Amino acid sequence: MPSRRRALLKVIILGDSGVGKTSLMNQYVNKKFSNQYKATIGADFLTKEVQFEDRLFTLQIWDTAGQERFQSLGVAFYRGADCCVLVYDVNVMKSFDNLNNWREEFLIQASPSDPENFPFVVIGNKIDVDGGNSRVVTLSFSLSLCVRVSEKKARAWCASKGNIPYFETSAKEGTNVEDAFQVIAKNALKSGEEEEIYLPDTIDVGSSSQQRSTGCEC
Amino acid sequence: MQEPELHDLSDDADYAASIEQGCATRSESSKPSSSSASSEPEGAEIVYTKDNVTIHPTQYASERISGRLKLIKQVNGNALFMTWIPYKGQSSNTKLSEKDKNLYTIRAVPFSNIRSIRRHTPTLGWQYIIVVMSSGLAFPPLYFYNGGVREFLATIKQHVFLVRSSEDANVFLVNDFQTPLQRTLSSLELPRAVSVENFPPPTPAANEDLSTADQERGVLDKSSVSFQQNGRQRQIHHDPARDLSIQVLEKFSLVTRFARETTSQLFRDSPMDGFTPNEGRKHGQLSPVYHQVTPSNDSPKVPDEVSVASDPVEFDKLSLVWGKPRQSPLGQEEWTTFLDAEGRVMDSKALKKRIFYGGVEHNLRNEVWTFLLGYHAYDSTYAEREYLMSVKKSEYDIIKKQWQSISPEQAKRFTKFRERKGLIDKDVVRTDRSLSFYDGDDNPNVYLLRDILLTYSFYNFDLGYCQLVELLDSPLHNYFKQNDCLNYFFCFRWILIQFKREFKYDTTMRLWEVLWTHYLSEHLHLYVCVAILKRYRSKIMGEQMDFDTLLKFINELSGQIDLDAILRDAEALCICAGENGAASIPPGTPPSLPLEDASIYAQQEEDDVL
Repeated sequence: MPSRRRALLKVIILGDSGVGKTSLMNQYVNKKFSNQYKATIGADFLTKEVQFEDRLFTLQIWDTAGQERFQSLGVAFYRGADCCVLVYDVNVMKSFDNLNNWREEFLIQASPSDPENFPFVVIGNKIDVDGGNSRVVTLSFSLSLCVRVSEKKARAWCASKGNIPYFETSAKEGTNVEDAFQVIAKNALKSGEEEEIYLPDTIDVGSSSQQRSTGCEC
Repeated sequence: MQEPELHDLSDDADYAASIEQGCATRSESSKPSSSSASSEPEGAEIVYTKDNVTIHPTQYASERISGRLKLIKQVNGNALFMTWIPYKGQSSNTKLSEKDKNLYTIRAVPFSNIRSIRRHTPTLGWQYIIVVMSSGLAFPPLYFYNGGVREFLATIKQHVFLVRSSEDANVFLVNDFQTPLQRTLSSLELPRAVSVENFPPPTPAANEDLSTADQERGVLDKSSVSFQQNGRQRQIHHDPARDLSIQVLEKFSLVTRFARETTSQLFRDSPMDGFTPNEGRKHGQLSPVYHQVTPSNDSPKVPDEVSVASDPVEFDKLSLVWGKPRQSPLGQEEWTTFLDAEGRVMDSKALKKRIFYGGVEHNLRNEVWTFLLGYHAYDSTYAEREYLMSVKKSEYDIIKKQWQSISPEQAKRFTKFRERKGLIDKDVVRTDRSLSFYDGDDNPNVYLLRDILLTYSFYNFDLGYCQLVELLDSPLHNYFKQNDCLNYFFCFRWILIQFKREFKYDTTMRLWEVLWTHYLSEHLHLYVCVAILKRYRSKIMGEQMDFDTLLKFINELSGQIDLDAILRDAEALCICAGENGAASIPPGTPPSLPLEDASIYAQQEEDDVL
């Protein structure tokens, strides 16, 4: 099949404003970090080719705006997601507390067919930030507001929500970003395949018994 | 003298009947040939024939090519075709070879590939038509030496959907779209915004004998770019809009709905109707062959500028339709002429008009923007403004002290403040940091911005802090929600931050001051949206962008948009839409500047313009 289309895996990144969603995406796709990202407005996405067991997939990573007021806009691009990444800033407790809201909001708006088993991945970002010496914190009056979210607490929450995989990353330094997205892509793929079982291809009988990527022109 | 046609539809000029040419001096009428029907291929019916229809490849009378124009209807498929076949062996001392004539031959063009026909019926001189293809390319003017343009159009109307453009009474749009939505989107593209880029240039071989003709074969009218097509190219290209699915169209939501109101207006009565017939006369007097080729669709040459002899008032109105040429920014010297001895702006309408068309020089923005933004009244004096400034300054300082006096201890027990401040801190470090004004670590201007935002947040704490300009969001969002249009994400950013991400910093400032004048409309930003989409319409439709691709495409337009050209388009759209355009914008839709008293200015402007 010369012009075979690769399967598309859609990933949505959610989380509070400024936790580093854009940075994570850019670090993973472009291996770049800038501390001059602009606040995301609306949404944007990047794509990256990923390979699993000799099969190529296009990972379409959607970067969304973290501002609360934009949340109602989510529905248009939540739909069809294969995996949802919940990001918080390990230095900002509130951003962790909000993960639950983000998760529920996503499940409501995306309404996946099997919400219980929909794959999420949680990322605690900015582990490079050193207890109040970052620029953000300098500007924050040096208030001792930054109570670091403990890894234990985060893992406990993830476990309570159906064993969500958990990663601590630094988008700035690239720490753990690749590993996290490997799992994201893998779980997105799994999700997509399960969906395929529920909704078998009724058009091409010949290829339905084969793997998804072969002969899929849809 | 008339001989029956001997060719069939697939013929080229070599097979065309050799008929005495219709030269410039001929004026007797010739009857449509009815004897030729039998020579047409089976299943085709000739519904119209006109002899002595001539093209003028150059301004030289000796290089005119006459031929026979026919409308042919497919009996089975119901499709209508147009052909124009030059007569073989013209007797004049023509320099044109048969090959050249072949080049101009119009072979069975289906009306589904024709967008519009412009008619020119001058009181003096020959009537002619210009046929514009869906691709935006046009055939050279076809001169009806024996008259009959009206009959030609009437015949077409019997077979295909033909509607007169309200924008120009002499333009007839061929439109066979099935649904109003499709029609609307098709109409989104004003005639001028055509792209030649998608089309291969004429091959050198085809042009080698025609260099003079090529140079002088000009812009036929403002709605098209003259461009010789050979038969092969005609076969390949078709209007991508026709392939467009409704699903993709619906992604246009915001702009669609708005544009439907706006552009459907183009098909009905419009204020411009009053003078378009004059335009026709003018063009008739000025032979189109003298017009120069417009090389591309950007910064289009205003054909009206060529018509030097025309009435200045008429010219003024006419050029408005296409958006006036942009002017240079308002400078210091000119600015002082707007002020009286005590510093009052004497004619605020004139000032706003001036800024609308040219913007303001950077060093004047500090002063002039205070008026545009409603900080100072136009009729305030220097002294009044100075006083107001000092009052406001002390107000600012008081509010600033309020949040500055919050100690870290107090902040711990003041969650709302911490959160608000946290948001602002996050945003200021990612606001325009690549500009020299804000760049580098510990830039004092970043702190200044932080202070201003936080102070404003205290001034209006209930409003909340919403990433600078999100004031616009809520009513606008409600508007879309009411209209079941939640798919407007691709231009959400445009409106939300008023195109700030789409242009370079200084260009953004230019756009903003133009929007703030509220000259023509307080919703000019919506027309700007439409203008941008219109400009990229053929690309969007041609590539059949789905929602994802469209969003990506629009996001990546950032930095690619020619502001001046877009402003001219927006101006033209705004004027074309007229009052109905304004009426189609729901009450409560925020103006381009979220000022409570902004509507007062807009009201004045509407009286001025309409």
